[in-house]
Amino acid sequence: MLKERFFPLFPLKSIQSNISLAFSLLILAAIVLTSLVSYQVSVSAVERNSKGYIEEIIKQVNLNIQSYVDNMENISLLALTNKDVKYYISDNSFISSENRRTYEKRISDLFQAILYTRNDIASIMVFGYNGRFVSDRRITTMNPNTKLEDQAWYQMAKAAGGQSVVSAPHVQSLIENEYRWVVSLSRELKNTDGITAEGVLLVDLNLSVINDICNNINLGKKGYLFIVDDKGNIVYHPQQQLIDSNLRTEHISEVLQASSGQSFIMDKGDGKRIYSVQDTNFGWRIAGVAYTDDLIASKDDLRNSIIFYSVFGLAISLLISVGLSHRLSKPIKVLQSDMKQVEKGNFDIQTEIGQMNEIGQLGRSFNLMVSRTKFLMEETIQNQENKRKSELLLLQSQINPHFLYNTLDSIVWMAEQKQHEEVVLMTSALAKLFRASITKDQELVPIRVEVEHITNYLLIQKMRYNEELNYVLDIDEGILGFKTLKILLQPFVENAIYHGIRSMYGMEDGLITIRGRQSGEHIRFEVEDNGLGMTPEQASRLLINYEEDGRNQGIGIRNVNERIKLYFGHEYGIQIRSEIEEGTCITIVIPKLA
Amino acid sequence: MRKHRLTFWLILIIAAVGIYTLFNFRLFSGAHQEERNVTVILKTLNVRLDFWQAVSQGAEAAAKEMGIRLSVDGPLSEDDAEGQLRLLEEAIERKPQAIVIAPIADKRMPEAFAKAREAGIQLVIINDSPDATSAPIIVTTDHGKAGRLAGEAAIEATDGYPLIAVISDEESSAVSEERLKGLRHALASYSESVIGTYYADNAEDRAYAIVMELLRRGEPINAIIALNESASQGAAAVLKELNKAMEIKLIGFDSTSDEVQLLESGTMTASIVQKPFNMGYLGVKIAQKLMTGGKAEPVTYIDSNVITKENMYTTENQKLLFPFINSK
Repeated sequence: MLKERFFPLFPLKSIQSNISLAFSLLILAAIVLTSLVSYQVSVSAVERNSKGYIEEIIKQVNLNIQSYVDNMENISLLALTNKDVKYYISDNSFISSENRRTYEKRISDLFQAILYTRNDIASIMVFGYNGRFVSDRRITTMNPNTKLEDQAWYQMAKAAGGQSVVSAPHVQSLIENEYRWVVSLSRELKNTDGITAEGVLLVDLNLSVINDICNNINLGKKGYLFIVDDKGNIVYHPQQQLIDSNLRTEHISEVLQASSGQSFIMDKGDGKRIYSVQDTNFGWRIAGVAYTDDLIASKDDLRNSIIFYSVFGLAISLLISVGLSHRLSKPIKVLQSDMKQVEKGNFDIQTEIGQMNEIGQLGRSFNLMVSRTKFLMEETIQNQENKRKSELLLLQSQINPHFLYNTLDSIVWMAEQKQHEEVVLMTSALAKLFRASITKDQELVPIRVEVEHITNYLLIQKMRYNEELNYVLDIDEGILGFKTLKILLQPFVENAIYHGIRSMYGMEDGLITIRGRQSGEHIRFEVEDNGLGMTPEQASRLLINYEEDGRNQGIGIRNVNERIKLYFGHEYGIQIRSEIEEGTCITIVIPKLA
Repeated sequence: MRKHRLTFWLILIIAAVGIYTLFNFRLFSGAHQEERNVTVILKTLNVRLDFWQAVSQGAEAAAKEMGIRLSVDGPLSEDDAEGQLRLLEEAIERKPQAIVIAPIADKRMPEAFAKAREAGIQLVIINDSPDATSAPIIVTTDHGKAGRLAGEAAIEATDGYPLIAVISDEESSAVSEERLKGLRHALASYSESVIGTYYADNAEDRAYAIVMELLRRGEPINAIIALNESASQGAAAVLKELNKAMEIKLIGFDSTSDEVQLLESGTMTASIVQKPFNMGYLGVKIAQKLMTGGKAEPVTYIDSNVITKENMYTTENQKLLFPFINSK
C-alpha cells in the first residue's frame, strides 16, 4: 500500500499524460519486440544464405584444385603410357648409351612441351629404379644432399603400387639451389606386364597455384580457407606457423567429422564462424571459414535501418498517441472546466454531452446534479425570502396598533378610575408582552416562555373586557421544557376573542380553552372557543388567502401556519375545526424539540 | 501543455536511447566495429630480407584475423635510423590507434616513442631487447633462450664434451650479447667448455680469418657457435676448405638460403631459427589488445627452433626456412 502511494502505476498528473505514457510504453514494447524479432529473423536468413554462398565457393575451390590435380594425373598418365619413357626406365639393356641420349632428349622434349602449355606445373621427372633419371630440363644438377629414397612422395608412390598419390605441400629440394614449394603427384611406373615396378614418376604442381586460389577467394575480410588430409594433418593453412607454435588452434576434429558439402557454425569465443567442408577425391578436405559478422556486411546496415525505422515509427506513433490521448481526455477536460464554473457559482451551466459513453453519462449526471442543485438553491432562496416576510408580518401582528391603542385606552381609563393596582398590573403585562416580541435573536423559545407570553396577553385582554373574558389555560407540565416558535398561540387566541366570543351576546358565557399536550413525537396545542364559529369557507379562507381579505385578521393565523411549515416541515401545521354557533377549535402540531 | 511536450520528448528520447542500447549491447556485446588502424614500422622493407618480409606477413595475418587496417612501412636499409625516425614521425602525424615498431638503435628513438605515446598512440616494440628501450610493451625473440638452445645443440653434437669457439660480431650488439649469455648459461656445468669468444665485426672474411687462425694454431675445438650469419658463413668456408665439417660442429643462427645449403650439406650441424612471422603476428595482436583497452604483458618472448639436417623438412620447419611460396 505504502509503496503504491510512492510509486503509482501511472505517476503523471493528468490523464492525458498517463494515457500517452501508457500508449508510448506499449508502442515502445511492441516496436522493440518486433524490431528484435525481425532483426533476428533477418540475421538468421542472411546467415543461412551466406552458408549456402560459402558452400558454393568451397565447391568451386574444390573443383579448381581438383582440376589441377586431375591435370597432374593426366600428365602422369601421358608419361605412363609413353613408350619412350617405358623403354627408358625398363631394365632391358637394349638401349645403348648413345641411344640413351636420344631417348632422354625425346622424353625431355615431351615433358617440356607439356610444361610449356601448363605453367602451373613446376616440373616433371622420372626416376627409374635402374638409376636412370630424366626431367623436363636438358641439364639438371641434382642436389647432392637430397636422397631420393628419403622423400615422402617417393616412399608414398612405392607404397601405393601404381596408384597416384598426392603429397602435402612441401619444399622440393631435388634440384641444386632450387627450393620450391610444390604439391607432388607421384606414381610408380610398371613394366609392360603391369606387375614389375620400374620407376617413379613425379609431377610437381606449384603451390602458388593453390595458394592463389585460397587467397583470392572472398570469404569476407577475415574469412580464410584451409585444407587437411584425411588424417587431420594440415595440408594448407594461411596461419600454419601460428598453429605450429600453438598461438592458434583450428577446429580440425569438427571438420573431419563433418560430411562433405556440409557446413556448421562454431561459436567458441573467437567470433562466430561458419565452416563449410568439401572432400576432394584425392584425400584432401577443404574447409572454408567465414566470420558471420564480417561476411554479413549488411548486418550493421540492417541494424541501423531497423533502428532508424523503429525510431521513426516510434516518433509517429508517439505523436498519434499524444493526439489520441488528447482526444480521449478532451471531454473530461470540458467537463472539468464546466465543474470549475459550478465551483465558482455559475449554476446555469449545462455541459455538452457528446457520445453516450462513460464520460457522456458522467456529463448527464453532472447536468442533472447541477439542475437539481439549482432548483434547491432557488427553493432555499425562496424560503428565506418567505421567512423574512413572515417575520415582518409577525412583527406587524405583534405591534398591532389597534391592540396597543385599545390597551393604552384601557390603561388611561383605569387610571382615571384611580384603579392604580390594575394600571400597574396591565402596564407591566404589556411591557412583558412587548419585551417578549422584541427579543429577535431567538426564533425558538421554550414553551414555558410562550405560555408566559400568552398569559400576559390574556391578562391584558381580560382586564380590557372587565373580567368578562373567561379562559382556561391547560398546558401539560411535561412539555414546558420543549421548544416552540415564539408567538405561536397569540394570533389564535386573538382570533378566538375577536371573532369567536366578543360578538356573542353574553360575552361572559364565552370560554377560551388553551391546551398543550404531548402526542407521540409531536406537541399538540389546541385553542378552542365556544363562540360564533365559522363556515368551512371562512375557515379555509383563513388559511389561504389574505390579500383578498383586506383586513389583518387572517394575517396572524396564516403567518403562523407558514412559519410552522418553514421551520418544521410540511407535515406540521394547523387544523381548523369550526361549526356555526358551536365554536371553533384550532389544532397546532409541532415537533417535539428539546 | 508545456509539461505535456516535455513528457513527450522525454519519452521519445528514452525510447530512442533504449532501442539503440538494446541493439548495441544485447546483440553486439563487445563486437563494436570501428575501423582500427595500426601502422607497423620495420627495420627495413627490403624484399630480399626474408626476416622482415616474414614479420610483415605475420602482421598482415593478424590484421586480417582481427579486421584491422594495417599499413607496413620501413626504410630500405636496415641501419637507416634517420629514415625510420622520419617514417615514425609521419606515422604519428597520421594518428593510428597503435604503432608496432622494430626500432633501429638510435639515441633519438625514446624521444620519438614518448611523442607517440603523448599523441595517445599505443606503442608495441618488436625485435628489441627489453633493456634497450623504455618501452613498456615488447615482443621479441628470446635471444637468451636461443643462445641456450645453441649451447645445448653444441653439447649434443659433441656427445657431452663441448669445446667451443664463439664467433660474435661486436661487443655492443645487444642481441649477440644476449645469445652469448644464454649460451654461457647452457654451458655453465661444462667447465672450460668455451675456448674463447671472438668478434668478427659482422664480416665474413674476418670470421674466416679468425677460424682459420684458431685451427692453424691447433686449438682443441670441436664446435663453433657462430652468433650471426656472416660468422657462420666464414666459419663454414674454413670447415669446407679444410674438410673438417665432421670433426668440428658448426652451430649458427638464422636461416638464409646459404645457411640452408650448409645445413643440407652437413657443414652446419644446427641453426637456431627465429620465428619472425609470429613476431609480426603477436606484435599486431598485442597492439589490438591495447587498443581495445586490454592489458598486455610487458615482454612477450618468442621461441626459436633448433633446425638440423634431419628435421629441416618437417612441416613446421620448412615453413620457417622457406617462409615464402615463390610464385613460378
